Formats: sequence, structure tokens, C-alpha cells
Amino acid sequence: MTKKLALKRKGKESEPINKVVASSEASENEEEEEDLLQAVKDPGEDSTDDEGIDQEYHSDSSEELQFESDEEGNYLGRKQSSSAEEDEESSDEDDDGEEESSDEEEVEDEEKDSKLKQSDDKPSSSGAASKKAPTTELSKRDTSKPEYQDSDTSDEEDIRNTVGNIPMHWYDEYKHIGYDWDAKKIIKPPQGDQIDEFLRKIEDPDFWRTVKDPLTGQDVRLTDEDIALIKRIVSGRIPNKDHEEYEPWIEWFTSEVEKMPIKNVPDHKRSFLPSVSEKKRVSRMVHALKMGWMKTTEEVEREKQAKRGPKFYMLWETDTSREHMRRIHDPVSAPKRDLPGHAESYNPPPEYLFDAKETKEWLKLKDEPHKRKLHFMPQKFKSLREVPAYSRYLRERFLRCLDLYLCPRAKRVKLNIDAEYLIPKLPSPRDLQPFPTVESMVYRGHTDLVRSVSVEPKGEYLVSGSDDKTVKIWEIATGRCIRTIETDEVVRCVAWCPNPKLSIIAVATGNRLLLVNPKVGDKVLVKKTDDLLAEAPSQDVIESERIKTAVQWSNAEADEQEKGVRVVITHFKPIRQVTWHGRGDYLATVMPEGANRSALIHQLSKRRSQIPFSKSKGLIQFVLFHPVKPCFFVATQHNIRIYDLVKQELVKKLLTNSKWISGMSIHPKGDNLLVSTYDKKMLWFDLDLSTKPYQTMRLHRNAVRSVAFHLRYPLFASGSDDQAVIVSHGMVYNDLLQNPLIVPLKKLQTHEKRDEFGVLDVNWHPVQPWVFSTGADSTIRLYT
Amino acid sequence: MDVENGEGQVQVHLKTKQEHYAVPDVPYAIDGTVTTVELNTFVNALLRQKDGSSDTDFDFLVFDEYLRGRLCDHLREKAISFEDAIEIEYVERFPAPEPQDCLLHDDWVSAVKASGKWILSGCYDNTLNLWTNKGKHILTISGHTAPIKAVDWISLDEETGRFVSTSQDQTAMLWQWNVGSNSVECVSVCKGHERGVDSVSVSPDGLRFATGSWDTMLKVWSAEQEDAAEGSSKRMKESGVRTPKITLQGHRESVSAVQWMDASTLLTGSWDHTLKVWDLSLEGIKTEISTNKSIFDASYSKLNRLILTASADKNLRLYDPRTNQGSVVRNTYLGHNAWVQTVMWSTTEEFLFVSGAYDNQNKLWDCRSPKAPLYDLLGHGEKVLDIDWSNPKYIVSGGVDNTVRVFKSRKALAEDTEAK
Repeated sequence: MTKKLALKRKGKESEPINKVVASSEASENEEEEEDLLQAVKDPGEDSTDDEGIDQEYHSDSSEELQFESDEEGNYLGRKQSSSAEEDEESSDEDDDGEEESSDEEEVEDEEKDSKLKQSDDKPSSSGAASKKAPTTELSKRDTSKPEYQDSDTSDEEDIRNTVGNIPMHWYDEYKHIGYDWDAKKIIKPPQGDQIDEFLRKIEDPDFWRTVKDPLTGQDVRLTDEDIALIKRIVSGRIPNKDHEEYEPWIEWFTSEVEKMPIKNVPDHKRSFLPSVSEKKRVSRMVHALKMGWMKTTEEVEREKQAKRGPKFYMLWETDTSREHMRRIHDPVSAPKRDLPGHAESYNPPPEYLFDAKETKEWLKLKDEPHKRKLHFMPQKFKSLREVPAYSRYLRERFLRCLDLYLCPRAKRVKLNIDAEYLIPKLPSPRDLQPFPTVESMVYRGHTDLVRSVSVEPKGEYLVSGSDDKTVKIWEIATGRCIRTIETDEVVRCVAWCPNPKLSIIAVATGNRLLLVNPKVGDKVLVKKTDDLLAEAPSQDVIESERIKTAVQWSNAEADEQEKGVRVVITHFKPIRQVTWHGRGDYLATVMPEGANRSALIHQLSKRRSQIPFSKSKGLIQFVLFHPVKPCFFVATQHNIRIYDLVKQELVKKLLTNSKWISGMSIHPKGDNLLVSTYDKKMLWFDLDLSTKPYQTMRLHRNAVRSVAFHLRYPLFASGSDDQAVIVSHGMVYNDLLQNPLIVPLKKLQTHEKRDEFGVLDVNWHPVQPWVFSTGADSTIRLYT
Repeated sequence: MDVENGEGQVQVHLKTKQEHYAVPDVPYAIDGTVTTVELNTFVNALLRQKDGSSDTDFDFLVFDEYLRGRLCDHLREKAISFEDAIEIEYVERFPAPEPQDCLLHDDWVSAVKASGKWILSGCYDNTLNLWTNKGKHILTISGHTAPIKAVDWISLDEETGRFVSTSQDQTAMLWQWNVGSNSVECVSVCKGHERGVDSVSVSPDGLRFATGSWDTMLKVWSAEQEDAAEGSSKRMKESGVRTPKITLQGHRESVSAVQWMDASTLLTGSWDHTLKVWDLSLEGIKTEISTNKSIFDASYSKLNRLILTASADKNLRLYDPRTNQGSVVRNTYLGHNAWVQTVMWSTTEEFLFVSGAYDNQNKLWDCRSPKAPLYDLLGHGEKVLDIDWSNPKYIVSGGVDNTVRVFKSRKALAEDTEAK
């Protein structure tokens, strides 16, 4: 803006000079000036036509100005009286000086030159010099000066004349040249002719310093300061003469390290921290660089280069990079053919040609051509022209292609995993003591395989049931058989009532379930139990036909009473298994042949039986009561179903994925179930975890017959037909997030093999870490 | 024997506490490979030089442990430097006990106790039997209704003998036996236990006895002729039924062993893996030693104040009741190869004890020889259920083979004859 303004002014300023120059003679400077002005395209003097008009006006205005001067005379005179002329001038010059200083020196140059050179032209206007004072006075208007002194907006660029920025030649025909602030006409100063001008030039010693103000049309005599200023500008110095160019340098910011800080304010914390916004910007840039949205200059350069330059590409697959084959991962690249040697040449050196012996040898290996050193016979031709067509060419190409095609191209990676590495890290059995390690006792007395064993809740006695149709009660610590109870049929299962307040053994023999008082231990207890079992409670519930045909309760006959049998529950099919509920009031029996009545639940105190299931879901093998909850586990051949006895609904079905379940045992806390199967497996179910086994153990080499959890120790045992009892550590943590820890500890193999059978039943001592096993060798063994 | 220095040579001092076998205290350098046999001949040779006495068998103790193999092996095992002068103490070897008699019973013998020249045995056929130590059957006493589990003598003099028996019928019975008329009467029946009574022990003053039972209780009863208990009713007095003076509860499982340590202190061992020392004046537990095996029998020696326990894992363990920092096993004696049912300290020899196990063997041990027993006392054809050495002259054991075996301890006999 300022620059433009400056140019404008310059244009105005230069106008009269131009005219002067044009009137006298053209100079190079002038032309330049004109060029410059045109380039600026100031609307003030946009065309060269104006020049002529200007000139006209120039000559006209001189007359008009004079005529008007009288009008203004008093005004000016009054002003003059009030203020000093010099003051005014200086203030005036200030304005001018400002204008000029912002202008280019050339203007001044010309002005001076022109004035100096063409002093003969100017005297014509020298006549006006006498009226110089009034003209200067006229130009003075300081009402708004203090306000706009420093302003340089275009509005106030020249306030002596209010006509605005219009071509001045419009006023050529008038006596006035515009209007002042008081809306009075500004009368053109009287314009003398050439002679007046000349005379003035001769007479007036200040003529050289007189210039014409285009706006007012008056002559302005430049003061000494103005001249000095102009001179300073011309000489390329700073216009303000008060400005000291070489004043002593004050080192505000010294390069030396000061002892004391300049400012005492501690650095803000911000100054120690990397800027977050910068970091964001940088990371955005880095991201853009990574993504390829932004490119470094080198890359851009390279791209440009690549675009510009010639492009090269491999015509065929490269020698160095790997071959890419569809559907074949990591292929082996095809073998390279040997480069042809001298022997292949059409004109081989004579030493490559076969002699008679070599020829003979070559021919001899006709049947085994791969043994030949060369697959062809080198031949010599005089020129390439004479080389005949290669008769085997097609065939060899074909064979080569065949080779490549049939070549196994993919690399096979064989994974070598150390078996040790896959075995989970288990704690050492030594740290998991106590657990049974040795056979301590053999209870001999049975004459046939012992099917079942059960321990008294106190841990002093043991009961066993055998195929020799007897039940024996043993003293654990000494191995003495205290009592033998003979039955009519094979004893399939015995179970000591887990309630320590009762002294009852449930014996499953044939179709009958005998409740036997073993008459060992506390005498008071024995008597109480006898009393309890002697009287049948009155039956107030009429049982359904379905139950009646399945089960009959009765007191034992006298001869059986003698043996200790108190109650007989006769079933309609042979009983395979009997199990007690933890409180000792309920017991469940299994008759695998009973179809939909194969599982029964008996209540001792009421002498009542129930058939919990109306439909047969498969051959029931084993049943179990939950130790805490009213749940009932039923194992069929393949699956285990858990029923809620209160709600009478199926809770869960466990999928064993095995052919035939042989037994179950539930952890005393009730969250884990161990299942043995005839297909050599043991399955550990975490009931909270899943319906699939948490772990499948294949520890035995033959059918697993029985499993048992210890009531107190984190131990479980399994007995199998391979005559082994395997004791394992099975720790269940209270923390639900921790899976049970299972560590096989000890294989106890002392039972003898009898008819493909080994161990038939295992059971733990209720308090000691001792395990009992019964075997087909008609013994019961205790491992401690 | 040449005195040489070199590899495998050990410098030894030979010492003994028996004055008449003393040899000059001179260091001898002997080969590291020597065994007891060679040392024995060496000491005998030295003694012969001294006073020309006859041969005696010695046992050699190196750092309080019997030398059983070669000396160098022993030292290596104990991590003793070969360069130190090693003190070897030699003691006269305990003579081997001789099997003397076999007392045949009708059923398993589960309890034996010898006193004076009498042997009392308890049987699984619910009877008690009295024998002389010459093997003569004196008396069969029936009264219990279940197998006898333990017996103990209360007092014995020329005219009368008094003893107590406990049984699985949940009672203990006090018997008075008139030697002259050879008649026995049941003084009283002690009722109070709720299960079989497994162990019994009579106090040193003979006024009280303690029983341990399968009902986990320890009960102390009066052993006097007349029960002075003021609370008992007349009817009970007439019927001879006694009630316990003190009932002590603390064990969680069967109390399998009871022994008086002194007039008011009882030691019990239980299947719940603990040994407890009870103070009867306070009627509470004084010390508890936790072990990690069920204890079938425990024996306390008044001579060395240590406790031996028998358990199912073939080992005998030695505990010191004076240390109260958990279970500190002083030593483990491994020699049996089955369940050890019974153990008993010698009443006269400080270091000797006997044990009976289900491997049909009795063993005589020196507690300084943990690796091997001194002697195996063979004879039983079946499990040994109880052993007794309260008469120093005889080691008596009863077993499942329906016999009581009597082994003569020659040393005690010899001392006895000397005394006479």
C-alpha cells in the first residue's frame, strides 16, 4: 500500500518535472522515468496524451493563479502575522520531505538537474516568486495536522486541495484549481509568461530552489533543510540528519556468558518438556512418511529421475531373486544348465575331439548314457554354416521340461521337537509326600476274587466282598479277619455307611441288598444301630406298583440275623453296585439289567425306595451321590448325567468320549469328578469348567476298574486289570482360576494276575494316606 | 602292625570306658580299609601284650557311631578328614541273645509282658495266659469279650501278682493273681472308653495306669486294690466297675502307645502322627512332637530320655522330647522291611532297644548303629505284634504265629550269675 502510494506520489511529483523535461529536451533519465510511471499505471497520469494537457494546464495555470492570489491574500497575510514563516516552511517541508524521501532519488535528481540546467526556462515563473510567501501560506493548513501528522493514508495525502484525486487538467479552463477546506476556491496563482519566468530566474537568487506545487499551482521555495535533505538522499545517506549512523554499539545480547542471569525469572517448566504439539506434528509426519503419503526430497527427486530417465526391467526371471511359484511355498529353483564348453563348439580344439579309444568307450556306455563324460561326441566343422540340424533337439528339450516339471520343488521342513520339552513341568513326587509307597499288609482269607472293599469311617476296620460269597471284616492294623459273613450269592459290592453314628455295611449280593451290622467298634453304636434297624417304621405312603415290583424291604431271617444281617432289600435284578449318601440315610443301587428301573434310591430311615428315572437313557453302570449338594451322578456306558434331586432335573451331561465307563469317584469338595473306563483311560472332569474332561490320563496298560479320591489328602488312586494301583496327586485349589494339579506319583504293582483280571477295587483309608486294593488273586492289599 | 605313613593310612587313638580293657593311649597308624574284625584282633593282641588276657569281642565306635563296614568308608560318609587323629572307642560286644523258648497259644498273641520269672500274654482268643520264663504254662484267664490288645504288670511279689489288660471290648481289666493257689480274680473292670483300648501303661509307683484307645482318648485310672474314688456309686464298687480318674482329649486318631515317663508325665503316640507328652498334674499337653507318619508304638527310655517310634514305613525313628522345635528326628533306623509294629528300649542298657515288625523278625539295635541292627532275632513265622524287654534277661515277643518267643539275653544272665 505504502509502496503504491509512494509511486503515486512520485508520479504527481514528477509531473511538473516531466513537463519541464518534455518542454525542454528529452533525456534518458526522463524516458526511464516515464517507463517506470507507465509500468506503475498510475491512474493519475496513465496515458501519454495527458502530457500535452498537463503542459497546457501548466501554462494556463500560471495566469489563473495570479488572478486569485488577491482573494486569498488577506487570509494568508493574517496567518503570516501570527506564525513565523520558517516554522511553516519547515512544517511544510516536513511534508514535502517526507514525500520526497519516500520517493526515488531520481526525481530529486532531475529536479535539481533540471532546475540547475534549465535555469533559463524558469525565470518565466520567477515573477511568481514574489508571491511565494502567500503561496506557501496558502498551502499551510494545520488544523488537522497534529491529528494526522504521522498518518500516511491516501485520504489525507494532500489536504490543501479537496478536489481529490482527479486529473488536474480538468481545471485548466478555470481560474481556480480546486477548493480548500472552507469550500473556497483555490485561485490559481498568476502565471507569468516566458519572459517573466526568465526575469524571475535572473532576479530571483532562489529560483533554483523554487518548485511548483501541482495541487495548488503555486511555487514553493525549498528551504535549506529541504536541500540538505535532498542532498542526503541523493548521496544515498539516511535522510534524517539527526540519525547517527556510527553511534557506538551497545551489546544488548552479549556473546559472553554472564555471571549473573539477565532475568531472574526461573525457566518455566514448559521449557524443559518436549513440546507435545511438536511431537504430534512430527509423529504425524513420520506416519505419513511411513505410509508413503509424504516423501522426502530425495525420494521425490528419485521419482522424478525415474520418470524422466529410461526404464529397465528384467526380461526374464532374475538370476538372483527367488522364483515365485504358484501354490508352492519356498520352491527350490530349477537347476541351471552348465555353460557350454569348448567341446560343444562347432570347431573344437583338436584335443577335445575323441580319439579312437574315447570313441569306443563312449559307444560302449550306450546303455548307461549317464555314465558318459560327455553326452555327445564333439565334432569339428569348418564353419558354422556346415553344422547340421541337431537331431535330438526336440527330444532333449522335452526331457528337460519333463525334468523341471517332475522335480520336487518345495522344501520340506521336518519339525524336530524334543519330547522332553513337551512334558509339562511337574513337581517332584518327593515334595508331594505323604503318599503310599510300599505294600504293607496283605489281607488273606478270601478264596475267590475280591470285588469290593470299603473302610470304616474311623479307619480301624475294613470290609471286603468276594466272589466266594462271603463278606469279611478285617482289622486294618493287624490284618486279622474279625468276622466272615456268608451269603447266598456272589458279593458284588460292599459299602460301609459313611455316617460315623451308624454301624452298617451295605452288601450287594445277587438280587439282595443286605444291611449288615458289623458289630465292631463302639458297642453303644452297634446296639443303637441294631435298635434302629430292628423296627420297621410305619409305612404311611402307598408305593406305586412300579416300585413294589422292583423292590421289597424285609427284616432278615433269624439265621441271617445271627450273622449280623439286619435288613434285606430284595431287588428284581442282580445288583451291581451300592453307594451311600454322605449322611448315611440314603443309598443308591444299580441293576444294569433293570432297564428303566436300573437305578434305585433307598431311604433307610423310612424304608422306602424310589425310582428316580422313568426312562432308560442307556445301560447304567455306576451311580454316585454328590458329597455336598443334592446331586446324583449317573454313569451310563458312554456318558455321565448329573441330576438335581430336589429340582428333579438334569443339570449337566458329561461327555466322556469313551466306550465303557467302569467307575467314578467325586472329589470331597464336589467340584471334580474322576471317571475310570474300560478303555484304559482315567478322565478328570472339572465340573465347573466344562462337560469335557479336563484331563485324560492313560496311565494304565489295561482296563481301569476303579478310582478313588482320598477324603483328606490331595490323592487319588486307580486300580486296573494290569495289576497296578497307581497313586496320583490331585490337588484342587480353592482359587477358581487355578486348574487342578495332577501328578502321577507311584505305581504299586504287587497283585497277581488271575484270569486277565488284576485289581478290581481301590479305596482309601479315611484318615491315613493309605490305599487298599482288592484283586483277582483273592487278596486285599494295603499300601502305606 | 607296622606304623607307616601314606595313602589310606589313618591315625587312630584307641579308647575305652571299660577300665580292664584299657590299652596304652598311643596313636596308631592303621590302614583305612580295616574292618571291625581286624580292629578286634588288633585290640586283642594289644591286650594280650598287656596282661595276657583272653579273647573278647569288641565293637568299635567312631564318632559315636558303630563301625560296620570299612573304616575309610565310614569316615568318608561322615565327612571326617583322614588327616585328623581319629578316636576309636571300643566296647565289649553285646552278646547275641539266644532263642530260649517258644510258648504256644491258641490264637494270635497281641500283647506280652514279662516280670520276674513270669510272662503274661494277651491273645486274640480273648484270653490272658501266664507262663513261667522256663516255658511252663501256668494259667489261662478268660474274661474279656474281645481280643486283648495290651497287658501290663502292676505289681508282683512272692504271693500275689497284679496286672491290667485292655481289650477291643472297650474295657481294661484289673486282675489279682494269687501265686500260691494259682488262682486269679478280676478285681475290677474299667469302663469308659468308647472303642477298643489299644495300649496300657502302669505308673512307676504302681498306683495308676493309663490307657489309650481308638476313641482318641487317653484315660488315667486308679490301679489300687480298692478304688478310692469317692464319686463312684456303691453298686459300681460292688460290681468292680471303675471309671477313669482323668480323661485327656487331644489326639485326633487312635492312641496307640502310652508310657509313663515319670510319676506325673505320660507319653502317648498316636495314628494322627503326633507324640504328646502330658502333664497329669496340669492335665494338659506339655510337649507335642509332630511327625509325618502314623505312630504304632513309642518307647521312652529313662536312661537316655529319648523316644523311639515305630511306624508303617519300615523305619524306627528316634526323637528327643527335650527339643521343642517341631519334629526333629534324631536318627532313623532302617533294617526292617515291613510295617514295624512294636519297639521297646532296654531298661538296663542305655543304647539298646528291640523292635518287632511284620517281616516276622525281631531286631536288637544299638541306637548308635542306625544302618544295621546288632542282631536279628529270628524265630517267628508270622508278624510280630508285641515285644517286651522289661525283664533285662529276657526278650519276649508275641506274634501272629500264635507263639510267644523268649530270647535270653546272655549278658544280663551273666551279670545275674556274677551277682549271685
